[in-house]
Amino acid sequence: MRKHRYTLWLVLAIIVLAVYAVFNFKFFSGVSHGERRVTVILETLNVQLDFWQAVHKGAEAAAKEMGLNVSVEGPLSEEGADAQIQILEAAIERKPHAIVIAPIKDDRMPAVLAKAREAGIKLVVIHSSPNMQPSPVVVSSNHFEAGRLAGQTSIKETNGHPVLALISDNENSAVSEERLVGMQLALADYKDSLMGIYYADQSEDRAYLIAKQLITSGSPINTFITLNESASLGVARVLKEQNRADDIRLIAFDSTGDEVQLLEAGIIKASIVQKPFNMGYLGVKTALKLIEGDKTNPITYMESNVITKENMYTTENQKLLFPFINSK
Amino acid sequence: MLKDRFFPLFPLKSIQSHISLAFSLLILAAIVLTSLVSYQVSVAAVERNSKGYIEEIIKQVNLNIQSYVDNMENISLLALTNKDVKYYLSDNSFISEENRRTYEKRISDLFQAILYTRKDIASIMVYGYNGRFVSDRRITSLNPNTRLQDQAWYQMAKAAGGKSVISAPHVQNLIENEYRWVVSLSRELKSTDGITAEGVLLVDLNLSVINDICSNINLGQKGYLFIVDNEGNLVYHPQQQLIESKLRTERIKEVLQVSNGQSFVVNQGDGKRIYSVQDTNFGWRIAGVAYTDDLITSKDDLRNSIIFYSLFGLAISLLISIGLSHRLSKPIKVLQSDMKQVEKGNFDIQTKIGQMNEIGQLGRSFNLMVSRTKFLMEETIRNQENKRKSELLLLQAQINPHFLYNTLDSIVWMAEQKQHEEVVLMTAALAKLFRASITKDQELVPIRVELEHITNYLLIQKMRYNEELRYEIDIDESILGYKTLKILLQPFVENAIYHGIRNMYGIEDGRITIRGRASGDQIVFEVEDNGHGMTPEQQGRLLFSNEEDNRDQGIGIRNVDERIKLYFGYEYGIQIRSEIGEGTCITIVIPKLD
Repeated sequence: MRKHRYTLWLVLAIIVLAVYAVFNFKFFSGVSHGERRVTVILETLNVQLDFWQAVHKGAEAAAKEMGLNVSVEGPLSEEGADAQIQILEAAIERKPHAIVIAPIKDDRMPAVLAKAREAGIKLVVIHSSPNMQPSPVVVSSNHFEAGRLAGQTSIKETNGHPVLALISDNENSAVSEERLVGMQLALADYKDSLMGIYYADQSEDRAYLIAKQLITSGSPINTFITLNESASLGVARVLKEQNRADDIRLIAFDSTGDEVQLLEAGIIKASIVQKPFNMGYLGVKTALKLIEGDKTNPITYMESNVITKENMYTTENQKLLFPFINSK
Repeated sequence: MLKDRFFPLFPLKSIQSHISLAFSLLILAAIVLTSLVSYQVSVAAVERNSKGYIEEIIKQVNLNIQSYVDNMENISLLALTNKDVKYYLSDNSFISEENRRTYEKRISDLFQAILYTRKDIASIMVYGYNGRFVSDRRITSLNPNTRLQDQAWYQMAKAAGGKSVISAPHVQNLIENEYRWVVSLSRELKSTDGITAEGVLLVDLNLSVINDICSNINLGQKGYLFIVDNEGNLVYHPQQQLIESKLRTERIKEVLQVSNGQSFVVNQGDGKRIYSVQDTNFGWRIAGVAYTDDLITSKDDLRNSIIFYSLFGLAISLLISIGLSHRLSKPIKVLQSDMKQVEKGNFDIQTKIGQMNEIGQLGRSFNLMVSRTKFLMEETIRNQENKRKSELLLLQAQINPHFLYNTLDSIVWMAEQKQHEEVVLMTAALAKLFRASITKDQELVPIRVELEHITNYLLIQKMRYNEELRYEIDIDESILGYKTLKILLQPFVENAIYHGIRNMYGIEDGRITIRGRASGDQIVFEVEDNGHGMTPEQQGRLLFSNEEDNRDQGIGIRNVDERIKLYFGYEYGIQIRSEIGEGTCITIVIPKLD
């Protein structure tokens, strides 16, 4: 009887202690993630490039929401693989909890990323998937899906008779390759729809010459798909000059200021636009999940929007095309 | 198994440790409860305060935005009432083409002057339904790809019919190569008659103004502010893109349902937060969101101080509980050690009684018990002593030398008289008498034996008194089997002979009657004589006098009475009834014993 009573007491004591523990745990769990440091390394920090600026903003939004300490870095000009590797190595030295990186394609990159991983830093790759084993966690636009959207749009715009030429940057670009594959899948049912794939690197002039050559040679092409800005501008110039904007459709990717104007003018029929803000946001959020040890998807894809002249001023698309309120 | 291993951890042997454990647990529970409650109370207080604080901030934001909107409104009124604008737009043709340029210049100058003073205004434009157009810029090339009729602000102004309308934030693409985020105030202009619509006035507010106001508001680290319009479309939200991509949800529905100035608390998803909602007077609702975690900035201090005070209180309470339990258990310990003394046989102990509480009463009972035990033990000792004494006296009675001497003297005398038969009879009776009483080990004998004994005794006495002693024995046959104390009757018969009838004028007139019968569960003997009788004093002396006084009377009456009482209890004993000159009757009562 006496033992029983004291067992009761002990149980009561344990309950009380449990309540106390929960109470304290609630205190501790309320502590923000301020001490969690995440470094975000972009392809470039160039303020002229809205795409990366939007990624930057997205990362900051995530940092604010989750109470993380995020620093965003990157080379000041695009194409700076050396500069980016340098920045990455410096970041590894500082040992943040996680690195979110949009790696510039370079042969040395996988080794440096492996180094970061060895240092116990969680790795999230955004925008593209690198060639490394085991594959890191990726947060990226679904380029394959974007390519498919472009293909579908071309079918729709030509009322089911697409005859198209594709102008890409170069053969090594993984992003362009994925887009191409997606597009080819969409066009699989249309025989001989793809007249040719051309590479113009980042040169507007080269794209211009390719397009001019194609048009003036009397080829039956009715659609151009351009995978980067310079190609879009080059083709648009030809179409304007040759006054063929009405019968030759131009389907572009992404949305720089010039492209927006061309879209508004109806020269670019449609543009497949990524969501860079979301990429930055989800990149950092995924990094936090990795740090906390939560389950994450190995690849997080973001869809792209097909933007035409008609829908470019909807609330959502406006934000995509003009991500910055202060832009003039 | 577990219990066995578990309990030795708590050597809960003594009441003191029990009490202190119980106290500690109780106090711990109380402290925990108090800390929980105080935490809840302080959190509630912080929440309440922060609600007010957020409300104030949102009010300020509201006022700020309101002032910008009011300003746009004023500008629109200014343009509206401007005569140049009126003439310029009126459908009549009293402005010639040459004059038109002058009007345009004057209106443009007016707009420009306004713009100079207001950096927040992006542009001011007027469109006439007559196709005329003026903006704040001298040279304006309109975006050829933009159709005025498709613009939301234009449609809204037409629909509102003269009232000003505020658009949602949008990119203004009216002017070529210019894409600005603005909030538009538009208003249809009426002719002087106030009925005919003549055009639409547009005032664009840089959205960056509102953006700056909203994004610079500090509602804690994670707190933010957003604006929705009447239909629940987001006007401003720091994460608008995420919400539109469905990566994030916002509680727009709740914000629309809440009445102006109210707030509500959401505790879902990423932490507890307070939504405070304010209406603007142009159809927007501003909602401030603050996370309670952010607001309780001194949370760590709060926690630390609560833990510190809890531990402090716990330590104090442990000390107090140990002290208190010691105080409570001390008298019990004292009592316990006194009891140990008693166990060892010390009955002289009396425990000290402190306060008259339960333990004091226990002590008192203990003392009573000890003294009672002591008394009883002493009494037992005394009784044993008395028994031994009476046994000794009995032994003396059996071999009363006086009696023996007299008897032997009588035998000698009879032998001299050659009364051989009598000598044999008397000697045989004497032998029987002794044999009967010598059975020492048995204190209780059947009444039959006692009867034989008294018969022999009376036989001897009768022969001594030359057959002149007359006696009668009347004992009920049915009681012969019951037990009685041996030599019970002899002293009374002896007494009757020596003090009752011997000194009478003639012994031959004396008569002794011995009766015995059962009465209920008792046996009553009576020894009666018709001798002198006794005065009450004599009777008293017989029963209560010291033994020394009646030594010569052999085994005293009193002694028999004592023996009866020792063996059978105090309800038994003897009674004397006597009258001078009449005789004496002694009644002996003993229990019926098989």
